[in-house]
Amino acid sequence: MSTTVRRFLVGCFGVLLAIAVWQLASMIGPLAESPMPSAGEAITTMLQLLTTVDLWLSTLDTLVIAVVGLLAAIVVGVALGIAIGSSPLVMHATRVIVEFFKPIPPIVVLPIVVLVLGPTPFMGIFLVIIGCTIAIAIQTSAGVFDTDPVRKATGETFGLSRAEVLRRIVLPSALPYIGTAVRVAAPTSLIVAVVAGLLGGGPGLGQSLLQAQLAGNQPELFAYVLILGLLGLVFQGVSSLVERRVLHWHPQFRKENP
Amino acid sequence: MTTIQKPLRSRTRQARRQRAARSPRWLLIGAEVGLPVILIAAWWFASAGSTNIFFPPLQTILARLWQLTQTSEFLIDIGSSLGNLVASFVIACLLGVLLGLALGTSRFLSWLLEPVIHFFRAIPPVALVPIFVSLLGFENETRILSITVAALFPVLISTIDGVRANDETLDMVSRVYRLTWSERLFEVVLPAAAPRILSGMQVGLIAAFVVMIASEMLGSSTGLGAKTLLAQQTFTIADMWAGILLLGIFGYLATFLFELFRRRVLRWYIAAQQQERQL
Repeated sequence: MSTTVRRFLVGCFGVLLAIAVWQLASMIGPLAESPMPSAGEAITTMLQLLTTVDLWLSTLDTLVIAVVGLLAAIVVGVALGIAIGSSPLVMHATRVIVEFFKPIPPIVVLPIVVLVLGPTPFMGIFLVIIGCTIAIAIQTSAGVFDTDPVRKATGETFGLSRAEVLRRIVLPSALPYIGTAVRVAAPTSLIVAVVAGLLGGGPGLGQSLLQAQLAGNQPELFAYVLILGLLGLVFQGVSSLVERRVLHWHPQFRKENP
Repeated sequence: MTTIQKPLRSRTRQARRQRAARSPRWLLIGAEVGLPVILIAAWWFASAGSTNIFFPPLQTILARLWQLTQTSEFLIDIGSSLGNLVASFVIACLLGVLLGLALGTSRFLSWLLEPVIHFFRAIPPVALVPIFVSLLGFENETRILSITVAALFPVLISTIDGVRANDETLDMVSRVYRLTWSERLFEVVLPAAAPRILSGMQVGLIAAFVVMIASEMLGSSTGLGAKTLLAQQTFTIADMWAGILLLGIFGYLATFLFELFRRRVLRWYIAAQQQERQL
């Protein structure tokens, strides 16, 4: 048996084991007294939910918020990054501001954003933009700054205009940085989209989750969390796939799949 | 190939150095300090006569913040929030590194548990808060547990990666020199994995901070997040802004302090990296 197959089988066994432990704990184990549903109940509810239209609609809402917000953040972040990375003066001038806002998560400004924009999809998109733009801008500016000056000078020697140098030399050499930043930002955008529903009352899976909790519907609550986990896995998979597609020419990726 | 690349590389370095020297130093430093000052001043003056209820004058917000910090209730809220954050983050780091060492060194364990761990990591940590609330109620344990779980997975996964990425030669050398099990762990494996572990902790710290606020916003009555949301719901806008400012500052400070810690622990690594870059 090859290592990959063995690894896959052991992994499957681990998943089954985890489900079994959950089932036992909730039936006869230490959690029998608590309102925790058994694994069987939660998974059945999840499968039932997956056949309802409502679930797919709220999933769509969450995905639209996350993806539109992420795309907007990429546009704004890359533009900012190019502006910051092109000149040492701008880089120094914005450093303190960027460094200050970088670690502050969007949940901090959620109260004021909800107040101004209301519990709308746009509120969610705005929060995603706030949450993802700075990280993308920082990476882009690092990439732009790291562009080989000799390459730029070579381009200029061959009579490329500034716009052409930007498009043909600076952006391609910053693209791996941008790719990494987007791959890291993708899960964040999903998290923020859920937070916008859960705490801001916006549409989507976060809101469904909150309603299940308020209704005291335990199996549904767990089912929603399971669905969010699956959605998160899909999101991660798709974003690294896209990164690999866009950057297939880069040496780092060529090395991985010869 | 290399004969061409070598002069090219030195040309690149030279060009970089020239670019750095182009703008005078005082201008760069002046811009670095100046722009934030200008922005804060702009906020102060632009909002000074503001009648928009959502955006009160900065002066009002700061005055309210000062007032609030004089009340013991507010200080208790801050203490509760920060106490939960620090306690949970420390627990998560210890647990994450311990579990990560176990999973990183045992191939069977990692094969067995990795799919489950990756599934848990894919769940937005904030989504776990309602589950803990429904199981444990609105007690403080709920918050500590939520924050710990949120910070645990980044630390755990980066520790597994760090331990596994260790150079095999290091392992062989330490075996040849007959280092004991604990010496190998503390003198070789952990230091070599430390850069990755610490960047995992950094990610975990931000997750912990987010979940700290979220766990307070979801139906708790103590804590800075709860007070900020309450102020929003009761339209005491200055209180809300005071909370937002303070949370922002704490978010920044948490990362800043951790970065100081990271630089202290990884002195040798950072120095080695710098030397490599200069070569």
